Amino acid sequence: MFNIEEFDIKCNTEIIGRNFIYLDEIDSTNSFLLNKSEYNEHGTIVLTEYQSAGKGRLDREWVSTKEENLLFSILINEDIDAENVNLIVLGSSLAVAQSIENLFQLPVEIKWPNDILIAGKKVSGILLESSSKGNVIEKVVIGFGINVNQTSFEGQYGIRPTSIRLEAGHPVSRERLLSEILNNFEEVLTQIFSDSSKVLNDWKSRCKMLGERIKISDGENTKTGIFEDVDEMGFLLLRTQSGLEKILFGDVSLRT
Amino acid sequence: MDLNLLKRLIRIVERSEITEFEVEEGDLKVKISKNNGTVQQIIAQPQTAAPQAMPMPNAPAPAEEAKEETKSEDGGNDYYEIRSPIVGTFYRAPAPDADPYVQVGDTITPGSVLCIVEAMKLMNEIESDVGGKIVRILTENATPVEFNQPLFLVEKD
Repeated sequence: MFNIEEFDIKCNTEIIGRNFIYLDEIDSTNSFLLNKSEYNEHGTIVLTEYQSAGKGRLDREWVSTKEENLLFSILINEDIDAENVNLIVLGSSLAVAQSIENLFQLPVEIKWPNDILIAGKKVSGILLESSSKGNVIEKVVIGFGINVNQTSFEGQYGIRPTSIRLEAGHPVSRERLLSEILNNFEEVLTQIFSDSSKVLNDWKSRCKMLGERIKISDGENTKTGIFEDVDEMGFLLLRTQSGLEKILFGDVSLRT
Repeated sequence: MDLNLLKRLIRIVERSEITEFEVEEGDLKVKISKNNGTVQQIIAQPQTAAPQAMPMPNAPAPAEEAKEETKSEDGGNDYYEIRSPIVGTFYRAPAPDADPYVQVGDTITPGSVLCIVEAMKLMNEIESDVGGKIVRILTENATPVEFNQPLFLVEKD
């Protein structure tokens, strides 16, 4: 079971995670924070040991064994706009990547926009959901799924999964890892408002496939080209025969 | 002055009951005042004796245009525009094989879910901020939309 005292000792944040909800089991931590209006404090996190309906993009499942991994969502509802919300998408993966590097010295790569890979295998996925009233974004929830101590993965996966334990070669403290992630996330969030180019550059320095020939699929169509850069909003710039194209979403892979 | 800070100040004033706000930082003075619900900003040059004035920072566009009822061409009615809060791809239904959230002619209330706009790994659900009837859907399903692009026309109650 997650030891909240152990987590709390290491967590140095001022806002993120100061309102902490622990649930033994829930359908989805994102849905919980989006739908429960009584938990509306900026920076609230909800952590669960098991999700019965964990999800990724396109309603893909996120499966995780009980009490071995980190499944949590963070609620952000202050100062969100069309520009910084995309940097929150990228910045959330940056915080996780920095934390894994700091604690375990593992070589971490980010796959656009925010999957985290170690040795080409997926260790973390992040799905953000938000709600807007008219054209005002009222709240954003950032759902993190991180494979921490799980050692076997069954089933079909788009990218081969791994866990930090498998890569580091020893069991890992989830409490220590979560506190590190929240510490880094709070710093990244502050930078998004003060020095967003730093966030973008830190993210780019970990981005796998930048400069490579890639293919990108939106579920229906596949495009190929050179992953030239990301723009200031974080969108992928794909160099194709017809010029530079801005990609808003999709699954990126190396062209083989 | 930090542009992001300025934007945040404008946002705070816009959301609050405050109609006028002034702050000085070093020799830069910023005054934000709100008239008729829209935020205006005036960046004052320092009144020091500097002979050559520093180049004026380009005044940034207001962070958010106040939503307005637009005069529509449809018979001169005043319809309310629901606009996209982000750059992304517009979806009328929660999944490719699901029914659309709303159709033309549907009655909606504040809080009714109208569509999803997706960007990168962010799924943004857009709720109506007004009650009324959907008069027109301005964007095709699964097409890109820009920030603030009109998506729906609503005849308000």
